[in-house]
Amino acid sequence: MAKTIMIVDDSASMRQVVAIALKGAGYEVLEGSDGQDALNKLDGKKVHLIISDVNMPGMDGLSFVRELKQRPAYKFTPVMMLTTEYTDEKKKAGQAAGARAWMVKPFKPDQLLNAVQKLCLA
Amino acid sequence: MNLDQALQTFIGESRELLEEMEQSLLSLGATTEPGEDIHAIFRAAHTIKGSAGLFGLDGVVAFTHIVESLLDQLRSGEQAWSEDMAGLLLSARDHIVALIEAVAAGEEPSTPVLQQGAKLATALSACMQGAVAEVADQALAAQADAASTPDAEDGHWHISLRFHADTLRHGMDPLSFLFYLRNLGQIVHVETVADALPLDGSFDAESCYLGFEIALRGQTDHAAIESVFEFVLDACELRILAPGSTAEQFAALADALPEGAARARQWLIACASLPAEAETSPTDARADALPAGGEVKGEVAALAASAPSPVQALPPKPLESRSVRVDADRLDQLIDQIGELIIASAGTSLAARQTRNPELQERSATLASLVQAVRESALQLRMVRIGATFNRFQRVVHDTARELGKDIGLIIRGEDTELDKTVVEKVADPITHLVRNAMDHGIESAEVRRQRGKSERGTITLEAWHDSGAIVIRVADDGGGLNRDKILAKAVDRGLVDAHRQLSDSEIYELIFEPGFSTAEQVSNLSGRGVGMDVVKRNITALRGSISIDSTPGQGTAISIRLPLTLAIIDGFLVEVGNATFVIPMDVIDECVEFSQVGHNDFANLRGQVLPLIGMHQVFGLGTGARSGRRNIVVIRHAGRSFGLVVDALLGEFQTVIKPLAKLFAGVRCVSGSTVLGNGKVALIVDVPALVDQAGQAALARASAASAAVSAA
Repeated sequence: MAKTIMIVDDSASMRQVVAIALKGAGYEVLEGSDGQDALNKLDGKKVHLIISDVNMPGMDGLSFVRELKQRPAYKFTPVMMLTTEYTDEKKKAGQAAGARAWMVKPFKPDQLLNAVQKLCLA
Repeated sequence: MNLDQALQTFIGESRELLEEMEQSLLSLGATTEPGEDIHAIFRAAHTIKGSAGLFGLDGVVAFTHIVESLLDQLRSGEQAWSEDMAGLLLSARDHIVALIEAVAAGEEPSTPVLQQGAKLATALSACMQGAVAEVADQALAAQADAASTPDAEDGHWHISLRFHADTLRHGMDPLSFLFYLRNLGQIVHVETVADALPLDGSFDAESCYLGFEIALRGQTDHAAIESVFEFVLDACELRILAPGSTAEQFAALADALPEGAARARQWLIACASLPAEAETSPTDARADALPAGGEVKGEVAALAASAPSPVQALPPKPLESRSVRVDADRLDQLIDQIGELIIASAGTSLAARQTRNPELQERSATLASLVQAVRESALQLRMVRIGATFNRFQRVVHDTARELGKDIGLIIRGEDTELDKTVVEKVADPITHLVRNAMDHGIESAEVRRQRGKSERGTITLEAWHDSGAIVIRVADDGGGLNRDKILAKAVDRGLVDAHRQLSDSEIYELIFEPGFSTAEQVSNLSGRGVGMDVVKRNITALRGSISIDSTPGQGTAISIRLPLTLAIIDGFLVEVGNATFVIPMDVIDECVEFSQVGHNDFANLRGQVLPLIGMHQVFGLGTGARSGRRNIVVIRHAGRSFGLVVDALLGEFQTVIKPLAKLFAGVRCVSGSTVLGNGKVALIVDVPALVDQAGQAALARASAASAAVSAA
């Protein structure tokens, strides 16, 4: 069964490109436009990886990850932050929130796919 | 991968973000505490930069990166906010718009755009505090370094891996990394190390106790292997030995492993990393030249343990409404097709009636009501809030006020009012003209305002609301109001009106819409540059709208534009004149009355009021024919006056799809379009404003003369 990945980003084009790349590699994709939207859409569904932006209107990425990690269903779900933020402080904040992987935008779809495969096999 | 569609999404999204960015920049204006708005601006730049990289738009990425860096400093308070900063960022925003529009047009940005970009980039960088600018550069350089790969080495690599207990809790799957490792070469052998597994009751299902000794054969390098484990570097011990490592290096590895050198040696031999008789020294001739293997401990481990830096929590914003992006052309096509559907449905109803089959009639009536419901929904699809258009005027007012050296604020009301997208696009220019005009001519200079006891800051109010099937957009200023006498004098001077005619105030105000009218004593470079109010009026009329003025001396002027909600379909009233059929737009009709055969041909007495009549037969040159039966008057209201249109028969309400007239008929007056009736006949849609323009004045004159004669008699 195909694995499911959720992409959370306020940019529809970013979600679209990530979805195209992931679907091409055989993953199922869920999309969320910000943290709150993602939480609503997850609603206990099994996902194998969550990729989230940091800066989003509504619930931002770090609050989203913290909230996510409180929920038993997603306690062990790997989270990768996908963002233009590259400073160590931000990364540390990300780790503290519970995101183990960090990828800096702009990126090439191949780079993303490589990172995703390290975290979750198709 | 087909990214074309995603690119379209990106362009649309960027345009929206840039518009929001402009809003935020303008609303910040001269404030010193940027607050939440700066986050919104940062996010906009951030999102555009992030997505642009996906499409290889390096120019956009490079420029937005600089903007983002500066915004980051503003966000963190390292830079102080100032009005100049707002101006600079506005120019930067405009440049991003230019870059995006070039992408949308499928072109490279033009040379002037690029030059402008270079200039702005210098200015932005100059603003930034040196230290951080360097950090940004370094970050870029670091990225570039990472991209360049050192020489790969072919051979037998040995990887020793011990996961920390937290690995599973972090959501990491050890197996995924092993599988991924296969991308680098062939995994010759794996020894699973489960020595850490507690055999007593202290076993914790959420902890990871595993380690691996892996033999990998392939052409790769140290960094590539390390990068496989990049996400667990802080949660594992990773040791890599390059091909041809010395016995000493292997011995050091074996000693370092927690399980003890003896067990380690077994695994190394099992992996064929060490020959079975490990005591004999392997090929040590090359040893000195080989890169050192050894422990690579995740540097981030220490970082992970350190206290988290405070993250700024943004106040929650209302969630965006769930929406689907649809190409406007496709929507137009749908509405076009629904137009055809309405015509076909009308035809079916007519045919059903003629068959006198009750069941068929009933079914066709159901169908017709469904078609009408579909029409309503389809038109709703093209409705957009006028807010986005209105908000653009913040910038117009901001810039124009600077040019004029006046202090003028803009108040926007009713931005939630919806109207057809095609109307919105066409109404922006006329509104711009009205707003500029109001700022230039309407609002007095600060001095005059002070003398008149008003606040020095002038106000322009832009509002919109729905009014029975139409939208009203009002541009109001709190300036000096129109000067009635001056306008009249000018109009007489220009020969626009007869000096002896008695005109009402509103009639005098209407004169400013006459071609070539300008009352400003000094022609400023803003308004009065050829494009006059007459053009505004013509544009509005072309949209089947009307325009009216309301002015109070000393208190201001308000210009109201009344527009139909949609251009595609109108509710019309079908009338017969001679043997032709016409459609009169429902929204101008007040009532219908019987034409009295014994009365006058020039006016009718409508409840004691003189109603000037316009004979449709005469206007359109149609013979009255030998037609018997009574004629009717359709009472219409236009520009504040009532007229009666004399027609033969009233055929009833009719939902009408407007088909524009062919180019050949572009010069035809008084007809704004055509439509196809259910029976396949063509009906012409009456252009009421044009009709009143052409025949109204004469009808008024005749009516007043005739009514005077009647009352004299």
